[in-house]
Amino acid sequence: MPTNARPTEIAIVGAGPAGMAAAIRLAEAGLRPVVFDLNAIPGGQIYRQLASPQVDARIMGQEYLRGRELLAAFDRAAIDYRPDSRVWWTQREDDGYSLGVLQHGRTQHWQARRLILASGAMERGWPFPGWQLPGVMNAGAAQILLKQGALLPETPPVLAGSGPLLYLLAWQYLRAGRPPQLVLDMASPSSRYIEPLRRPRGAWLGRGYLAKGARMIAALRRAGVPVRRRVDGLQAEGGEAVERVRYRHRGRWHVQSTGLLLGHFGITPEPQLARSLQLAHAWHHSQQCFLPSRGPTLQADESLWIAGDGGGIGGALNAEREGRLAALAVLDTMAENATATPSEEAQALRRARRRDLAARPLLEAMFRLPDDWLSTQPDTTLVCRCESVSRGELESAIAQGGAGPNQLKAFTRCGMGPCQGRQCGESVNRLLAGRLGQSHDAVGYYHIRPPVHSVTLGELATAQQQ
Amino acid sequence: MFRRSERGCAAPRQVTVWLDGQPCQVPDTLSVAAAVLHLHGWQGYRRHHDGSTRAPLCMMGVCQECLISIDGRPNRQGCLEPVYEGMRIERQQGERHAD
Repeated sequence: MPTNARPTEIAIVGAGPAGMAAAIRLAEAGLRPVVFDLNAIPGGQIYRQLASPQVDARIMGQEYLRGRELLAAFDRAAIDYRPDSRVWWTQREDDGYSLGVLQHGRTQHWQARRLILASGAMERGWPFPGWQLPGVMNAGAAQILLKQGALLPETPPVLAGSGPLLYLLAWQYLRAGRPPQLVLDMASPSSRYIEPLRRPRGAWLGRGYLAKGARMIAALRRAGVPVRRRVDGLQAEGGEAVERVRYRHRGRWHVQSTGLLLGHFGITPEPQLARSLQLAHAWHHSQQCFLPSRGPTLQADESLWIAGDGGGIGGALNAEREGRLAALAVLDTMAENATATPSEEAQALRRARRRDLAARPLLEAMFRLPDDWLSTQPDTTLVCRCESVSRGELESAIAQGGAGPNQLKAFTRCGMGPCQGRQCGESVNRLLAGRLGQSHDAVGYYHIRPPVHSVTLGELATAQQQ
Repeated sequence: MFRRSERGCAAPRQVTVWLDGQPCQVPDTLSVAAAVLHLHGWQGYRRHHDGSTRAPLCMMGVCQECLISIDGRPNRQGCLEPVYEGMRIERQQGERHAD
């Protein structure tokens, strides 16, 4: 522990709905939490730029505006908000956590007695041939451009993949007067049509989502946007950038000329801080990714809570509830005579959370991605974009005895680049699980070591000058 | 290329940034990566150390494909740095720099 560490009772990483809600609730109780935000303004991804919206509400939809009250409350509350802050290192200590935080080119050391991770989710890295070409972007990235500066693609894009965001973006582009030229729905068809029948309760609880999705698809079709269902092959082709997209629909390959392919293959927790703390994780079959293990109060370790999509994908409203729940759990640990029974406030939040989460398995099944996708892609498909490692190279390394993600990393440099495996970690796990005939949990994940954000030696040296 | 929607809200404040030596006006709400995608699109954004062309994928600090030189400092994550008046931005077209 460096001697010049700044002390705080409670630190929160992230200022999306979970981080903001946690901070607001703690401030209500008289604490002054420190909130480290990777972004320059609060809101996270879902409420990005909502403090000064760039786009008409009729384009973005009501769910975007829903965050205004939360942002206003966050703004009013006594919170030590630190934008542009990268928490690049954290370590468990006897009485809390040490944090290394990079802000505006300077490194600070913090000592937090309690820590809430609310670092949210990211779009899943999903390799297909040509996904490294300029002109292939994530749909979420395109939506960030829309929120940040009302930016729309000049030429109509092709949208491909699976997940609510894919249709939401298509609908937003339509509302903005720039519909996409084609939507390729790549959800695994078997689960989509069977699941609502198998889960009538989930279908009932999720009827709002279902109706909304159906309305969006109907609007796209009315506008003449072709929506191809059950697409099971995708390739981006071109020289220096994308020129065309090849896709397989009903057993036949089709070609579509386009300069922009927006892909979306669901979202997964941003794993880096939880992984670097070596927290327990388990593969979640329905969400098709690893989730950090949490108890009923969202506690993941001594003095550590994980709230929001970083702990499991539940959406913005659930993230807000989890933020508040984590704050209540923190307050419980600080109370002089903590009670064993949760407060009425906590009980109500838990009930709402259970009800909301009960609709998720249906959504997850409807947007389920084919589990065998990667193993059916051509050998030359890049899995690790940073180090340009292909599926074929990984397969040879496995054939030569590479028995785990860390061995494959050492053999091939897969996961050793600047994104630190965020884009390839679960792909490598899938490949190994398939080839070795082991479970995802048995295969495991990369050993993530700090720094979890890139830091220059010059920036590191600033810590000594304070 | 990404263009500003005519159906956007009130016009934002503009700042002047220098992109590869040329002065350009961009809305001050944009990140560096968003500004480059707005001004020039994804073509010519960056060349990877293996020689391939690359451009931003995630725009939220995950993929590291938006690396760009800002005020003479190479390999900055363009999607995480908001633009400001007088900022100098250079697209990286060569080998990965050591810092």
